[in-house]
Amino acid sequence: MTIKEYIPTYVGTVTKYVFIDSPNITPQTLAIRAYEISEGLMVKETCFGLQITGEPEQVKKLIVELRKVDSAHILVKDRGFPPVDPRRSRANLGGARPGYYGHEFECGLLKFVSHGLEELDKKKPKPVPQMSKKKLDQGKLPLNRLIEIISNEEA
Amino acid sequence: MAKVFIFPTTSLVLSDMVERWGHEALGAAVGIREKIQTPSLESPPLQMTPEDPKKGLKYAAVEVPCGVRGRMSLYGPMIEEADAAIIINDSDLSFGCMGCARTNELVMFMLRQRKEMPLLDIKYPETEDEGIAFVTQIKDFLAGLEGENDE
Amino acid sequence: MSEQPVRVAQLSCGPEHSGVQKEINEAAAAVNAEMFFPDVTLTDIRRSYDSFGLEARSGDLKLAIARAVALVEGKVDADAVFIATCFRCAEAAIVRNELRHYILKHSDLPVVSYSFTERTTAGTLLTRMEALTTIARRRALLAREVQTGTTMGIDSGSATTKAVIMQDNKIIGTGWLPTTEVMNSATGVIEEALKEAGLEMADIEAIATTGYGRYLIGEKLNADLIQEELTVNSKGAVYLADRQRGDATVIDIGGMDNKAISVLDGIPGTFTMGGICAGASGRFLEMTAKRIGVDITELGPIAMKGNSKIVPMNSYCIVFGTQSLVNALAKGSSKEDVAAAACRSVAEQVFEQQLQEVDIKEPIIMVGGTSLIEGLVYEMGELLQSEILVPPRSQYIGAVGGALLVSGFVEEKRKS
Repeated sequence: MTIKEYIPTYVGTVTKYVFIDSPNITPQTLAIRAYEISEGLMVKETCFGLQITGEPEQVKKLIVELRKVDSAHILVKDRGFPPVDPRRSRANLGGARPGYYGHEFECGLLKFVSHGLEELDKKKPKPVPQMSKKKLDQGKLPLNRLIEIISNEEA
Repeated sequence: MAKVFIFPTTSLVLSDMVERWGHEALGAAVGIREKIQTPSLESPPLQMTPEDPKKGLKYAAVEVPCGVRGRMSLYGPMIEEADAAIIINDSDLSFGCMGCARTNELVMFMLRQRKEMPLLDIKYPETEDEGIAFVTQIKDFLAGLEGENDE
Repeated sequence: MSEQPVRVAQLSCGPEHSGVQKEINEAAAAVNAEMFFPDVTLTDIRRSYDSFGLEARSGDLKLAIARAVALVEGKVDADAVFIATCFRCAEAAIVRNELRHYILKHSDLPVVSYSFTERTTAGTLLTRMEALTTIARRRALLAREVQTGTTMGIDSGSATTKAVIMQDNKIIGTGWLPTTEVMNSATGVIEEALKEAGLEMADIEAIATTGYGRYLIGEKLNADLIQEELTVNSKGAVYLADRQRGDATVIDIGGMDNKAISVLDGIPGTFTMGGICAGASGRFLEMTAKRIGVDITELGPIAMKGNSKIVPMNSYCIVFGTQSLVNALAKGSSKEDVAAAACRSVAEQVFEQQLQEVDIKEPIIMVGGTSLIEGLVYEMGELLQSEILVPPRSQYIGAVGGALLVSGFVEEKRKS
């Protein structure tokens, strides 16, 4: 076991993923807009959108501006690591970092979420079944109903 | 502005919604960022060391596997700090920081134990109508939280 | 090392959040291996989860299943597989075991599985990782079934040091001493073995070292092969037992830790190594012998005369084991029954803690110094409901395995 001191980099910064899933705007277009207003923030283009790193308030301001480009189709998330960190890069790991699959999963649902965001102010939603904490025996036939069925069968 | 614990803690959509409507999302990235930006002993990739599962003893006994305790050392303090929580109950495809079902059970339990805390239970949308319901529920929930921000 | 690193695919849940990933990477780097995570897609995860059929709830275990399927289907290339999950997690233990079976059944990849705690260090993982990379890297060397030339194997164990000289597939000299100062004990056994063989050090064409002291002795003697004891003992066991082909299970209850190795054609498939406490090792039997006032060599025959089931004894921990030993003697139990109970208790510990993780296939071969304690062999046979094979000179297993394997270097050396 070797003991080595760890000296962090990018201290005091935040990194945000900016996902874009829009029929009108490509990640490249969004990147150009980001560069225009980045004011020294680190902007990195990726296949799904951008990663932006910098001082928290500045990043927040940039995100507010970027959302204006296509609010319903741009989604933003915190990232723990700075961009292109070797500890999380596919080249070093051999495969994707675990968090990637979670993004892949949610990206598959973005069309519904974006639709929701677009329709949000237009109409009141139809009630849909909610999913709360799973109850034991949820969905099972109540006992008295079962007895009723059995007695009907026997009759 | 309220601090909203998100479950899955790695969720893109929850992280987005919470911040979009003016609150602060508490999730895995926040905890990992703190690890990555704090000087300590080198322990890649997450800068989590054997000390972290020990810190997790505050939330789970020593007989609980170290991976659960390690993860709880990230989430425990955030659950205590949270003003509200949103739980997506069908998050079966979550990995990494959300990759341990036992931890996730314990996290949900701890959130539900905070009975006074506003908590929203939802599921992932699978149709356009559910998409509308999904974002509406979240927006309404967030709007009702203390210190609601403008947008 | 100029060799290409061995690429070890990691299937795991928990090491990153337990502070153990760094230790895994370090152990791998120490034996010129590199860990990697087989690349799959979310579609692969869904498909593999459905086809594999094990309904794990944890996402990282689902991911491990998908990665295992990708390896077996040949979509991702690897030289070896390392499966690691948290100690005490039942869900992960099931997945770990099933993935190990699955990979061994459907591919040629060597697999090691391990359950870690936050205390697991690179040092603990090193022997396992070394065995794993050896199997991946040196299949040709491990295939050797006949010893040629004049070679020496030295096994520096935690309790005893052994040396064996072999010539043209025969053992011609042996040496055996308790381990005190590692190098002194080695020099002592080498002298003994040379004397018996009637040879000088200059006559030895190649040297192998194994056991805890292998690096120190190997470097001092400029050994041709410095090898961990898992692969060496497997080889030695099937060679001495004359079961070089097919399945076998090797059990080595050592002075400090125990090994259980599932072997195919002399090459380890799966293995477990360790032991919670010295209570499950030869050390406890040594203490028992001392306590009842007999030499360790007499313990076996005495135990055979006793009944192991009438004295309660649980040596899960050596302190409690010793307590039950003292209590039993104080209550007037016979030394025969106590000796038998001690043998049974050690056998039970090994059975419960280690043999559950390997596939027990016959013949079951017991090796190492403790295999000479017939009471222990008997109790192990009772637990496994099988006859146990103890090959001749089983206490020299590591030294013989070393002498056999290193003869692969003789021809090359003669040429040069």
